[in-house]
Amino acid sequence: MADAPAAERAATGRAAAAPSRPRRLGRRILGGAGRVAAALPAALVLLFLAAPMAVLAISSLNATASLAFPPSSLSLRWYAEVLGSQEWAVSLRLSGLLVLLVVATTAALGTLAAYAVARGDFPGRRAVAGFALSPLMVPEIIIALSLLYYFQGLGLVNTIAGLWLAHSVVALPFVVRTVMVSAQNLDPTLERAAASLGAGRLRVFWTVTLPLLRPGILAGAVFAAVTSLGEVAVTALVSGANTTTVPVRIFSAVQFELDPSVAAISTLLMLASVLVMVVVDRFTHLSEAL
Amino acid sequence: MTRTSPTRGRAAGAGYALPAVLFLAALFAVPLARILELSLHPVDGTGNPLPEFSLVQYQRVLTEPFFAESLRSSLLTALLVTVLCLLLGYPVAYALARTRPGVLRTVMFVIVVSPLLTSVVVRSYGWVVLLSANGAVNRFLVATGLADAPVPLLTSYLAIVVSVTHVLLPFAVIPLTTALGGIDGNLRRASQMLGAGPIRTFWRITVPLSLPGVATGALVVLPLAMGIYITPLLVGGANRPLAGLRVYSQITSVYDYPVAAALSFTLLLLTLLCVTVLGSGFRFWERRLYG
Repeated sequence: MADAPAAERAATGRAAAAPSRPRRLGRRILGGAGRVAAALPAALVLLFLAAPMAVLAISSLNATASLAFPPSSLSLRWYAEVLGSQEWAVSLRLSGLLVLLVVATTAALGTLAAYAVARGDFPGRRAVAGFALSPLMVPEIIIALSLLYYFQGLGLVNTIAGLWLAHSVVALPFVVRTVMVSAQNLDPTLERAAASLGAGRLRVFWTVTLPLLRPGILAGAVFAAVTSLGEVAVTALVSGANTTTVPVRIFSAVQFELDPSVAAISTLLMLASVLVMVVVDRFTHLSEAL
Repeated sequence: MTRTSPTRGRAAGAGYALPAVLFLAALFAVPLARILELSLHPVDGTGNPLPEFSLVQYQRVLTEPFFAESLRSSLLTALLVTVLCLLLGYPVAYALARTRPGVLRTVMFVIVVSPLLTSVVVRSYGWVVLLSANGAVNRFLVATGLADAPVPLLTSYLAIVVSVTHVLLPFAVIPLTTALGGIDGNLRRASQMLGAGPIRTFWRITVPLSLPGVATGALVVLPLAMGIYITPLLVGGANRPLAGLRVYSQITSVYDYPVAAALSFTLLLLTLLCVTVLGSGFRFWERRLYG
């Protein structure tokens, strides 16, 4: 709307002369009002999106043991408490380990599957794509119950391996989806060129295809990482006393107490996610990969 | 390529998908099949499944108000949240799609996506802090005289709808932004040059062309809203009549897995039904628009 009059003039030199001056002025005012009318709801919704997290971050700076907002006095004591705590340290290490395992697993499985679906030409291709994305269609509580029951039979409840597998199931569709976008935009002539110049199948995949898929893989890896780092719905049921991830520890702490130390660790988790996203966004456009 | 036959190329293409398919078969399909089987068994007095098959668990789910009410409530809440996400997400997506790349766009994008990258626990906890008795909202209400004493916001249905909408909103904004960003600006200009005002252009050009984004947003948000349980648990407590919470409480405090499995599958069927109806509704609408 903003540049409509300019485009009008540029596109049709003669037609632009048609609307009289006052009408054009009126349209410009209307356009300005329209822009405000469009921007105001957007600003309000953005405020709604940011509010709870901003409040949480500010409350974590409370000097007293309350989550009063705004805080009466500021301090970093809850951060010191969290970072000095043995329990949180164990959880942080576990969450970090899981992120590495889950990203490696889902990036490998997801990239291959997405490449096959986007570029392959075999019967049942669409069915494979649907299957690879289907965990997204199943409500989280159902995945949680099914994995809990399954893991009980296999002795995987309250184990790191169990959490690794569970997080990978939840994160895999995100990787498949982002890599599929990259693979669909991939120019097949580049691979054919490499093959005609004598590169073997594996070499083509490794030196031509994979680098071209990098934006999608990176975006998928970010989503896998943050999914694993934030997963609670399934983790809360299949984890146990020895395998309490950071979000699950937050989950149980929140149910029993409202203490700024939980707000402090939540803020740290939040900052870590935003940092990862900003860094990766420099290399690839996450917004497009979604 | 020149040296490989087409059939071999096909087999190799399928081979790439094999690891992921096997992985999901073992850890997604089989576990689902296992609880489907479990849901077909009656239980003895202590909740242990008996060997014979029956549909008694499904009968319980559909007739006992404790479960049936929760399914109805989950469905209505999910539909409400989906509509809210689309309505609230549209202006943000519109603004995002029309803002040129720069600092403002990056800030907007970070605000939209950061909730997606933050644990659902953290986001729900933010609402707990905001809505608690001495939280920001209650302080504001008391300070401005809108309320005499702190209002019990935390356990209200409204709090659940607001927080679940907040949690799922980014999932609606992203496909809407993609759809709105993909609309050729010349179409809008053409519409205005032909005499349509900005409002008419918006309704006749922008909205119909963004329909695929609306459909994707709805189809992503709805299944997520149907089974959500962490956010309502933290914000509204474990006793709210929502199917996700009922399954959770059957697992963690009653230990009746078969009825939890039956409730889960009924919820899954309901979700798939909604997705199918919604999906074909959108397809029908698109066909009518584009012929």
